[in-house]
Amino acid sequence: MSTFQKYLLQKSFWFLGAFLVALSLNFFLPRLIPGNPVDAIISQMTQEGRADSASLQKIYETYMAEFGLDKSPAEQFVNYLGKVVRGDLGTSFARYPAPVESIIADALPWTIALQLPAILLGWTLGNVFGAIAAYKGGWFDRGGFVASLVASSIPYYCFAILLLYGVAVKLDWLPARGAYSFGMYPAWSWAFFNDVMDHYWLPFFSLVIVFIGGQAIGMRSMAIYELGADYVDYSHGLGIPDNRIVRYIFRNAMLPQVTGLALSIGSLVGGALITEAVFSYPGIGTALFTAIRQNDYPVIQGITLMIMVAVLLANFMVDILYGVIDPRIRAAQSGQ
Amino acid sequence: MSGIPVTMDSPPPPAAKQSAQSRVRSFTRMLSTRFYVSATMVAMILFFAFLGPFFWGVGEPKQIVGGLYEAPSRELILGTDNFGRDVFTQLMHGTRSSLVIGVVAGLIATTIGVVMGLTAGYFGGVIDEMLMGITNVVITIPSIVVLILLSIAVGTKSIVTMAIIIGVTSWPWTARAVRAQSSSVRNREHVDLARLSGASTVSLMFWEVLPYMLSYIFMAFVLQLTSGILQEAALSMLGLGPSNAVSLGIMLHWSLLWESVRTGAWWAFIPPTVMLTLIAFSLFLLQSSLDEVFNPRLRGR
Amino acid sequence: MKADNISVQYETRVGTPVLAVNDVSFHLEHGEVLGIAGESGCGKSTLAAALSGNSASNMRITGGTVSLDDTTTIDIVKTQGIPRDWRGSTISLLPQRALNALNPTARIGDYAYDVIRAHEKRMNRREAMEKTGERLEQLGLPTRVLKSYPHQLSGGMRQRVVTVISTLLDPDILIADEPTSALDVSSQKALVLMLQKMMNEGMLSRAIFITHDLALLSNIATRISIMYAGEIVEENTTNEIIHNAQHPYTRALLAATLEPDPSIRNITIKGLSGQSPDMQTPPSGCRFHPRCPYAMPVCAQKVPGATPLGSGFARCWLLDGTTEIPDPIKHEEVVAS
Repeated sequence: MSTFQKYLLQKSFWFLGAFLVALSLNFFLPRLIPGNPVDAIISQMTQEGRADSASLQKIYETYMAEFGLDKSPAEQFVNYLGKVVRGDLGTSFARYPAPVESIIADALPWTIALQLPAILLGWTLGNVFGAIAAYKGGWFDRGGFVASLVASSIPYYCFAILLLYGVAVKLDWLPARGAYSFGMYPAWSWAFFNDVMDHYWLPFFSLVIVFIGGQAIGMRSMAIYELGADYVDYSHGLGIPDNRIVRYIFRNAMLPQVTGLALSIGSLVGGALITEAVFSYPGIGTALFTAIRQNDYPVIQGITLMIMVAVLLANFMVDILYGVIDPRIRAAQSGQ
Repeated sequence: MSGIPVTMDSPPPPAAKQSAQSRVRSFTRMLSTRFYVSATMVAMILFFAFLGPFFWGVGEPKQIVGGLYEAPSRELILGTDNFGRDVFTQLMHGTRSSLVIGVVAGLIATTIGVVMGLTAGYFGGVIDEMLMGITNVVITIPSIVVLILLSIAVGTKSIVTMAIIIGVTSWPWTARAVRAQSSSVRNREHVDLARLSGASTVSLMFWEVLPYMLSYIFMAFVLQLTSGILQEAALSMLGLGPSNAVSLGIMLHWSLLWESVRTGAWWAFIPPTVMLTLIAFSLFLLQSSLDEVFNPRLRGR
Repeated sequence: MKADNISVQYETRVGTPVLAVNDVSFHLEHGEVLGIAGESGCGKSTLAAALSGNSASNMRITGGTVSLDDTTTIDIVKTQGIPRDWRGSTISLLPQRALNALNPTARIGDYAYDVIRAHEKRMNRREAMEKTGERLEQLGLPTRVLKSYPHQLSGGMRQRVVTVISTLLDPDILIADEPTSALDVSSQKALVLMLQKMMNEGMLSRAIFITHDLALLSNIATRISIMYAGEIVEENTTNEIIHNAQHPYTRALLAATLEPDPSIRNITIKGLSGQSPDMQTPPSGCRFHPRCPYAMPVCAQKVPGATPLGSGFARCWLLDGTTEIPDPIKHEEVVAS
């Protein structure tokens, strides 16, 4: 078996383990809620007078069957795994009888369209700024460092709130709510596209700017560390031109940042949930915010599962990529 | 031939004493302006949160003192919130809750992280692989999701419960870092010496390895504390905060639910936003100024 | 090659600079290996860094000129080191921590290509590989290392590969800065043999070899300079230094390092009681006087001049004819006590 195959196998093994842990957490933790969640939701529906007793009975039976609450926890877990594999995430409490999958499917495209470009742009710009700051030093470094420190210590949700208030409410330059105007309907038209872009900038920049700051700080200290490495001195002593040495430094400092990207995808997705809620952007975050308010456990569980899977997959892919680009990691991890 | 072939006059004794003094002096000199600025900020925040209510408190944080979203006035310098409660009083109590949660969560996370990392790094081998395996799995599972699930599972929770939930999910980074440090410290000569003189494993770990990482662990604690405060705010904003308490995150949650941003009631959401930013900024600054002292590569830039 | 009046200092945050190298001059003829020896912190590595254009960010060259064969003299203060096109091709460095000197994410061949390309623009990748491969073969190393990453090579092999890369462009002068300090004895020997082979086969015409290991120097150097606290205190042919050293410091160093039992050797260097001086405030007069067993009042007051000794010199008031020597000293006496 080649080094790389060994590395791949080992990584797959770890991620399978992490995936199982994630599934168990997702299954067992909500089961710890005191009392029976189905009773809770039925009594809530009764109070709100949302259904008559006949249909309440039907709803009650639907949920009891879905959760399999009459079976043992082990059977319930197997039952749950089977459903997850088939893509069945259950039925929403608050929007009965809407299936959880369809609620997520409606929200997911907005979230991806908002977050993926923000993550990639923020990561790239942050690394470039960080490396330049470390290499140039002087006022650029000092000014940039303080600026990134400020940018990265403003919690992204605080920044989102301030942007929303300043730009959308006070100055009224951009719309303050949602992904498109109230009267609009999604269609493949220029008018709709422009409207969507108007709504896009504010949440987008609120994510990008904070992310640039955090990334730049990380890259700066990595690059400073690399600048002091012996190979930099040696290359200098051999007359290798500065721009080539900078390329070595950038490449070597960049490698840990790739893992940083994977890990920040996790925290960023989580963080951006709140950014979406602030802007009432119709993605996963707003869906989660609503579900928590309505105690809609199936939807909460579906969303947390989806985030876990997405983050684990992203981590896995970055780890593989890392193995491809850094020869040391491959060797170290396969025990060569 | 003798072991010491050259005999010369012994060195002048004042040299050693002088160098100890100058070491203290150079340590204080290395504490940059950045350190003094951030330490002052932290002290002011602490004063505001813990002693502020005695000076400027307007009753209990939950007490209704006026109408909905009353603008700031001479009596209520930050106006009222969506229930007619005094925002300034809430800000002081909220800051205190957030700080308490951050400190408790930070202590828990740092303790777990140090125990895991120290054990893994000191023993190495199978124990190391197992503990780091667990750590790596926990790192890959996004903490916000575990926090959400845990918060739902626990249901009603106090400030301390909240801190415990955050603490038990955020230790892996510290564990990883401490492991790296301790596995290098354990190979130093003084550890071997103590081992040869018959010290027990626990006392070796505690007295010979741990002291060399204290500065490092302290910085990890500051980072954990900061992230604990920010995670509390995030959870609370989503509606999963401590019940029957005020925290900065809960103030923001109310602002979101009751639309204070879009109705322009800036006094309801700007204060907690600014306070969170100030806390995070001053703690990051403190951490980075300490890092500069302990990590000479970053110095002089 | 001549280097004159070189002074280097390190800026510190506290303000007072550390005067690491003070007014050092030496010359190096073709076919010669000049050894520079001294305790750690005596400035020998700083001197190497200044001459190879490999300066740390807080290092400042405050004086000195370098000339090659009296044709060109360059002022290394203005450029803060030797010019880039000299580095690697005219004066090259064999670094102290050679094990980490290679870029960890570049294959050896690619790195060698970068080195060649920095000086010979017209050479393409294939030619550069061939040239490096030939050189490796000549020195008895396998050509497969061209395709290897540094972490795939053993420590001794990495050291030899670094030596090949440092001398790839047939530099006029090689500055070897403690290249053996991290190696085991057999790798040390292999490296010294390789350098001698390079000298014999004309890949290398002259070298400066910096080390604290006088025993090693006695095998490879033609002349030896002894440095103490940033200054050269004695310089002479290897034979004279080993067998007829005049400066008290040289004698102490010899007694300490030529001890045959290596386990004692490390302890005995500490037997030179007292520490190297604080270079922010170096001692007045002769910098060795606080530790010198023969110190006289004049030693603390005036800097000793160079007293010629055959083809070399030493700086010590004991050797200056004008001063009355208080106590006759002999080599044996110092060693035996």
